[in-house]
Amino acid sequence: MLPTSFDQLVVGYEFPSTSYHLTESVIAKYLEAVGGQQHLLTSGIVPPLAMAAYAMTALSQSFSVPKGAIHAAQELEFLKSVPIGTTISCSGKVVQKVQRGPLYLLMLEINALNQDKEKVLSGKATIAVPA
Amino acid sequence: MSRKLKPSDIRQGDSLPSVVKHITQKDINRYAEASGDFNPIHIDESFAAKTPLGGTIAHGMLILAYMSEMMTEAFGESWFKGGKLSVRFKAPARPNDTITASGKIDSIEDKEGVTYVNCSIESCNQKGEMVITGGAVVKLG
Repeated sequence: MLPTSFDQLVVGYEFPSTSYHLTESVIAKYLEAVGGQQHLLTSGIVPPLAMAAYAMTALSQSFSVPKGAIHAAQELEFLKSVPIGTTISCSGKVVQKVQRGPLYLLMLEINALNQDKEKVLSGKATIAVPA
Repeated sequence: MSRKLKPSDIRQGDSLPSVVKHITQKDINRYAEASGDFNPIHIDESFAAKTPLGGTIAHGMLILAYMSEMMTEAFGESWFKGGKLSVRFKAPARPNDTITASGKIDSIEDKEGVTYVNCSIESCNQKGEMVITGGAVVKLG
C-alpha cells in the first residue's frame, strides 16, 4: 500500500493501526543507541521513551514525511509499565494541521495498547513541515 | 547506578539528578538504526547542509530519551506507570554537542490520596542554549 501523502493528512484522518513487538534484542539496540539504562534489560521493563519512539516511527511509516520535517513539541503519558516481549498496537489521528508562515504544524494524537488491549501510552506529537 | 529519590526525600525546590551526554553523528546514526527514523535531516549531511538548519541534527526523541532517563533515575518505576511530560523542542541538538538534562521539583500535591510531583525539566547544550523545555508530572504510589 502506498503511503498517504502529506496533502491527504487532514484533521480527523486516522492512520491505519499498526503493531510492533518489543523484543529483548529491539530494546537492547534502543538502549545502546540512547547510551544508558542498561539495567532495564535485566529488570525486563521497556523504557517508556522506546515505546513512544517506536509508536512514532510506526505511524510515520504510513505517510510520506516531507524532507526537512522536524519535531516541534511532544506530550506523552505513560499509563502502565510494559514488560519486554510485549506486542504493542498503535493508532493515531491528525488533530490539527495549520500553516504558520513558512511551516505547516501537524499535530498527531497517538495511543498504544498492549496485547490485553490495555492503554499503556497516549500522547500528542507536533511536527513542523516546510510549506 | 540508580539515584532514585526516596519518597520521604522529595521536597519542593529539589533538583533532579542531571544526565549529561555527548552526541556524535555516529550516535545519531545509531539512533536512526534503532528507532527506524531515517529522516535525512538527521543522517544525510549533504542534504541537511542545504536546509535552513545548515547541518544534521539529533532526533528530538533521542534528546527526550535523556530526559526520560533522568526521570527514571529520580522516580524509578513510578515514571513508567504514572509519568506525564509536555515539552517543546526549542533548538536543535547537533553532532558534537554536550547535552545536559536537568530539572527541579516545582510542587508536590496530594489529590484524593495520590501524590503528584510536578517538575520543570529542560535540556541545554554546552553553550547553555535551551534545546528542550517543558514540564513533567509523576504520580507516586
